[in-house]
Amino acid sequence: MNKEELAPHVKEIARVLGNKVDESRIEEELDNYLNVYRVSLDTAKRSVVKNFGGDPNALAKGNRRKVADLKGGEQNVDVAVKVVTANPKEIEVDGKPRPLVYGIMADETGSISYSLWDPQRIALKAGDVVMVRNGYTKEYNGRVDLNLGNRAIVEALPQDAVVADTTVSTPMAMGSGEPMKVAQLADGMNNVTVTARVLSVERKEVGEGETAKVVFQGMMADDTGKVQFSAWHDFELKPNEVVKVSKAYVKGWKGVPKLNFGERAVVARLSEDSMPDVVSSRPKPRTIEDVERVGGATDALIIGTIVDVKEGSGLIKRCPQCKRVVQKGACRLHGKVDGYPDLRVKAVLDDGNSTLTAVMGRPVTEALLGMNLDECVRQAKEAMNAEVIREVVEEKLLARPLELRGNVLNDEYGLMMIVSEASPIRVDVQARAAELLAETEGFQ
Amino acid sequence: MIGRELAWRVFAAEFNSSRLEIKGEGEKAPSHLVTPLGAMINRVLLVGVLTDIDNIGTEEEPLWRARIQDPTGTFYLSSGQYQPEATAALAKMQPPKFVAVVGKCRTYSPEEGTMYVSIRPEKVQVVDIAARDFWVLETCQATMRRINAVEEALEMSPPSAEELVKLGYSLPLANGVVKALDHYGEVETQRYRHMVVDALKFLLPEMAGPEVPEHVSDIPEEIEDEEEGPSADKEQVVLGIVQRLDKTGKGAVWDDIVSEAGKAGIERDELDEITNSLLDKGLVYEPVLGKMKII
Repeated sequence: MNKEELAPHVKEIARVLGNKVDESRIEEELDNYLNVYRVSLDTAKRSVVKNFGGDPNALAKGNRRKVADLKGGEQNVDVAVKVVTANPKEIEVDGKPRPLVYGIMADETGSISYSLWDPQRIALKAGDVVMVRNGYTKEYNGRVDLNLGNRAIVEALPQDAVVADTTVSTPMAMGSGEPMKVAQLADGMNNVTVTARVLSVERKEVGEGETAKVVFQGMMADDTGKVQFSAWHDFELKPNEVVKVSKAYVKGWKGVPKLNFGERAVVARLSEDSMPDVVSSRPKPRTIEDVERVGGATDALIIGTIVDVKEGSGLIKRCPQCKRVVQKGACRLHGKVDGYPDLRVKAVLDDGNSTLTAVMGRPVTEALLGMNLDECVRQAKEAMNAEVIREVVEEKLLARPLELRGNVLNDEYGLMMIVSEASPIRVDVQARAAELLAETEGFQ
Repeated sequence: MIGRELAWRVFAAEFNSSRLEIKGEGEKAPSHLVTPLGAMINRVLLVGVLTDIDNIGTEEEPLWRARIQDPTGTFYLSSGQYQPEATAALAKMQPPKFVAVVGKCRTYSPEEGTMYVSIRPEKVQVVDIAARDFWVLETCQATMRRINAVEEALEMSPPSAEELVKLGYSLPLANGVVKALDHYGEVETQRYRHMVVDALKFLLPEMAGPEVPEHVSDIPEEIEDEEEGPSADKEQVVLGIVQRLDKTGKGAVWDDIVSEAGKAGIERDELDEITNSLLDKGLVYEPVLGKMKII
């Protein structure tokens, strides 16, 4: 790596170190790691930050994205783009004029409109090729916008670093006010219309003092799934009534889509029997892919086969102070502790199209094993090895087709289901086979 | 995040017809075997009957070869010291057994143009018949999805992964189908459709050849027309014969079965029908030609 290529990384390290360290010193160190010791760029950057007493975690996590992949509601977006247009504008905020720059940015996958909220700090002009760090996206009227706020950083890149394709239009997301099913709701959607039954609702106060707000939170469901909602205005929602909510928006929490609606929203009431009973009925099975597409799910039912039981499954010990898993007699936080026994399973569920990690706590594990915790402890003592329980878990779960029910979150490791209920599949294989046969033979 | 490679559901016939491997580029990048119907396989899940198992290595360094049969053909497994879990599990197994295997595909090309595929298991587990039947159903569904994707792609010029995704197919499948069509040319989907139909009939005993009465009938048994096909009773008789004659554990000799069945009043033609029905139901199999063994 030559000096020019190092420059943006030196700048990033300097920023993480609060610009307290001379850039030439950072450059020297980084150059040493990269060109003498030949470690990877990430390792080098982390090491340099550490050597100067900084926090390596503050380095951009490298949420490197391509324009075409951007969706609404993303944080810490890093994207290398060419500025296609940059238009200064003045808007009024709290009665005071405030400058703003808006326009279009593009990379080889497409173009996106952007807003630069702090043009006094960051200067952009048409034709610049830059790395935007810590940007965030919002969806407005079905269009995804890239925002450069007060945390954004712009680093100059060489002109040939980005080949801009401005022929591909801005990514569009759903949410044009058309009615949607609960299972289709995804993080970042705006202007959503949903018809669902209110399952529960609770009045809550959030925030303090002047910023305190009242919110009505609860659960809604239609025949495709359940979703948590937050109503930021009192629509006098009552359990069991069927409502059609328009102009709502969706925000994700760890990938789980949550429906939000405020004063602007319209809530219409439908007759209670206009929707089948979705409270007591079992949720309809959904595919992993389907949940993946929207980021997560509340109380979903997924059918698949356990293809791996991960380490740390079976009989474990937890720290009495923080409940963390105790490994080799020591808690990561509290050192040597006398842990208490617990059961859990971490397994991989695979449905042939996608996979997710299934996490099962003690009650679910006990039910699957057909054995309670005390019995497990007894057997482990007898064998003088806790691993025997893990073996039983493998034997009972591996290669078993199962129906798992629970909330599905999405984090850096991918989809994860917190299993609330696990049972053998209730698929009538013969009936399904007969149906499929009729369909298939109909083709011939 | 690098996602876990999913476990594809493919029948042996489709798997073994694969002749295209796409090597991963760069360190640790996974390789994929592309089947004629566009499955992009790195990992598979299969459930079938373990029929043969041999240690062709030594006791200290075992190398197990195993065969697993599904309704369409045979999967070949090889498991050695680098698959400790699967190797230990296989060492304890006595065929025949219903087994589930999670494994990675391996290819061997002794010369240009030929390719042998096998599976290196990560996990091998004895399962029950319900798990096998569910796998067959799932694999029928997955195969039909691939057939449909290939047929849609054949209508496009040129086939496009993006268009397939728009039609609702998953990205790995869409990519696989485009690569498969590029390599295999026009795939005979009709042949695979027939394979799925046969596999579905395998799950439906009343469809597979002779009728087998499923539910208890009100009509006394004597009235039943014997000409209609082998009754469950006669199947039981033949099963009994096969079991009795299998003294070595390597199967009963066919000629002995014929003579014993004759003594029980079952003619040769009827015996053929009965054994075919038993084979279809997966209750017996042929370990070697001319022998029959109970599963």
